[in-house]
Amino acid sequence: MPNTIHVAEYLDLDVDSERWHCHSCGQDVGDARDNYKKGLLIHERDPGEVHPPLIDGEFTFAPNPEWIRILEFYCPGCGRQVETEYLPPGHPITHDTEIDLDSLKRKLAAGELRIDEHGKLEVAT
Amino acid sequence: MSYPSLEEKLAALKVSEPTAYERSCLDAVSPGDYEIGVQRTADILDEGYEVFMRSSRSQMGVAGDSIVAMFNAQGDLVNASAGTYLHAVIPPIVIKYILKNFQENPGIADGDIWYTNDALYGGIHNPDQVAIMPVFFEGELVAWTAALSHTTETGACEPGGMPVSAKSRFDEGMNLPPMKIGHDHVLRHDVIEMFAAFGLRSETSVTVDLRARCTTADRVRVRLLEMFAREGKDFVTGLFRRMLIEAEQGARKRLASWPDGVYRCATFSDSAGTEHGLMRNCFMTMTKKDDTLHLDFTGTSPENGSSYNAHPQAVIGHLANYIYEYVFHDLPISSATFQPIDFEFPPNSMLSPAPNAATSCAVMAATGAMSSIANCVGRARFGTTEWRQVTASLGNGGNASVLAGVSQWGMPFADMLAYTINTEGQGARSHSDGINAYGFPWCAFGRAPDVENMENELPMLVPFSQHWPDSGGAGKHRGGVGTAQLWVTHHVPYVVFMSIADNSIVQTPQPLFGGYTMCTCPGLSMEGVDIPELLRAGDEGTLDLASLLAGKYGGQIVSETYARTARPVMSDQVITLGISTGGAGYGDPLDRDPQAVEKDVTDGLISDWSATNVYAVRFNERTGRVDPEATTAFRREALAERKARGKTWDEFHEGWSQRKPPEEVLGLYGSWPDAAVVNPLMRM
Ligand SMILES: [Zn+2]
Repeated sequence: MPNTIHVAEYLDLDVDSERWHCHSCGQDVGDARDNYKKGLLIHERDPGEVHPPLIDGEFTFAPNPEWIRILEFYCPGCGRQVETEYLPPGHPITHDTEIDLDSLKRKLAAGELRIDEHGKLEVAT
Repeated sequence: MSYPSLEEKLAALKVSEPTAYERSCLDAVSPGDYEIGVQRTADILDEGYEVFMRSSRSQMGVAGDSIVAMFNAQGDLVNASAGTYLHAVIPPIVIKYILKNFQENPGIADGDIWYTNDALYGGIHNPDQVAIMPVFFEGELVAWTAALSHTTETGACEPGGMPVSAKSRFDEGMNLPPMKIGHDHVLRHDVIEMFAAFGLRSETSVTVDLRARCTTADRVRVRLLEMFAREGKDFVTGLFRRMLIEAEQGARKRLASWPDGVYRCATFSDSAGTEHGLMRNCFMTMTKKDDTLHLDFTGTSPENGSSYNAHPQAVIGHLANYIYEYVFHDLPISSATFQPIDFEFPPNSMLSPAPNAATSCAVMAATGAMSSIANCVGRARFGTTEWRQVTASLGNGGNASVLAGVSQWGMPFADMLAYTINTEGQGARSHSDGINAYGFPWCAFGRAPDVENMENELPMLVPFSQHWPDSGGAGKHRGGVGTAQLWVTHHVPYVVFMSIADNSIVQTPQPLFGGYTMCTCPGLSMEGVDIPELLRAGDEGTLDLASLLAGKYGGQIVSETYARTARPVMSDQVITLGISTGGAGYGDPLDRDPQAVEKDVTDGLISDWSATNVYAVRFNERTGRVDPEATTAFRREALAERKARGKTWDEFHEGWSQRKPPEEVLGLYGSWPDAAVVNPLMRM
């Protein structure tokens, strides 16, 4: 059984090779010690394309596109929307998940943690 | 002055060292007796919670936006019944402060009633008030009890206790440091008079809620004494300490299974009181190591000159909302569950402001922290067997409206409309949609009042209440939708209306794993609407949000920010449209089951526009049902289009990193993009 953890809805972490993979299509999306978003495709949208204005005026139910944008992150293999982030224009993309691989490997090897048949971590009892 | 420093506050959240006597009592609690003892504490607190709701007067008190708690002699929280988890972990700051400063003068005695509502000394914001009683058994201090709730009047510069125009704490009305307001089991009459004076706009709710807190704390005290008498001091002392030990072990065990690492979330907001501007209202760096969490808020925007600031313990209170709902839901509400969690707050940020800051809208300032914790914990936890507990952020809009004036019963009043805040949408869950109109993110168990109750208590009519389509964030699993409710002044010449919120320009919660967040909330009212026609349509059930926005009842829509300063609204005029936010979405909307999309359209939870444009579902025009083949083909195309238009990281940054929001909206932000303090803030 591969040493793989299903770490996010659309992300698997291959512990041995230290690579991120798309959970839907298996596409390699990069070094698991780096930000997985670097291995995805990025598209910027006006938030009004998802949240359309419903009335006229300054406050319309749609976020103000000068203040905030939607960044969509796609799997280059299957096109799944792996992540989205609402950011002001130019704001750095968040490095949201930085798993300590050394600690993880140590705890798995020591039998403190184990990976179940669904790719989920649990404390070994 | 001796208000506690940040270090003292954080230290007070930690469980005290057990005394030699407490250690010796642990053996008095055998298995079996322990479980029965724990249940007895819960029963006592549940009784207190019931007493509290029945004896409160303000809408939020009646709705159960409150908590009842018991503590050991040192002031560690042992268990509580809620209501709201907002006040779950912070009352020990106040009790430990009283123990440290007031032992000699005025002294701590049997029958004392202590009280505070000052966030500088450990509260959330000054509408949130706590009555605390020491418990003496055979002449010795053995425990403490407390009852906390939110009262919607503090004598501030605007009605309702949460003034959006306050510039410093000196605009916020009554702020009482911990003080003794009763002795010998009697509440002092001069103190009640002081509350009545500060509560002039709404005297009955202020003084009745005050008495409700005291009587609730006392009921728990009486029941605890019965328990001491029946089970013995050794047993109850040992029980309390064992509860703390077991709660801590339970919390540490839960955290241990999450992968060690660093998890981050950045959230944004659009206003500080009446001033509009972009703020990074939370930058959370959550470091998880072994069985501990470290939460660092460095990178959060600077404090501002409005009431949208929160003292650090108030932020921790907000985190408790999420943590007890989703992480420690099966553990006691206890100081010990927070023992493995440490905090770091940057000085002079909006989450750690100067002592003179206005913080009466702390609940607005802390929405970023509430949203970020859901996101960071969700990311840390999804890879574990606890993945079913992962959700996208709750709405966290807190669109709170206040009405004040003289009611149809001739009574002065100032009250918050509990319906809107108590009907937000839940964040989408990792295995299903968020619950529609699930409740209040600040108080999971708060109840939305019936329309009949609202119309009886307040001088208004409510022509319609409904689920609000497209208010839940889209995704594989959809955020629960919020509600829309219309309010019309009735029975009285006028009411004073104000509203507290942000989220009219940008939304704070980030979605999770490829979903979208909820849309923004404008502050809407209507001028020149045909009210009799509107009421007729309400009776017939044809009145709804869409027909109102389409102008079917004439007049003009007035659109402002949801936060609005106090203003009069004359009789038989639209006060406002109360709207509550939906929850954030989870997962790629193209992964949503097309049948679920069809059902959402049928149920009025999403629009046809969203079904087509966000969920990429195709319908058979003749039957109105999903066309599975056309949908599959359309979605395949949409996936291919994404791959064609998406840019690589480097390509994307060529343009992106050169950009910046307009300079004129960055006045509240701090330095760009790090949100560090640029200029010290001057308050009068
Ligand atoms: Zn893929």
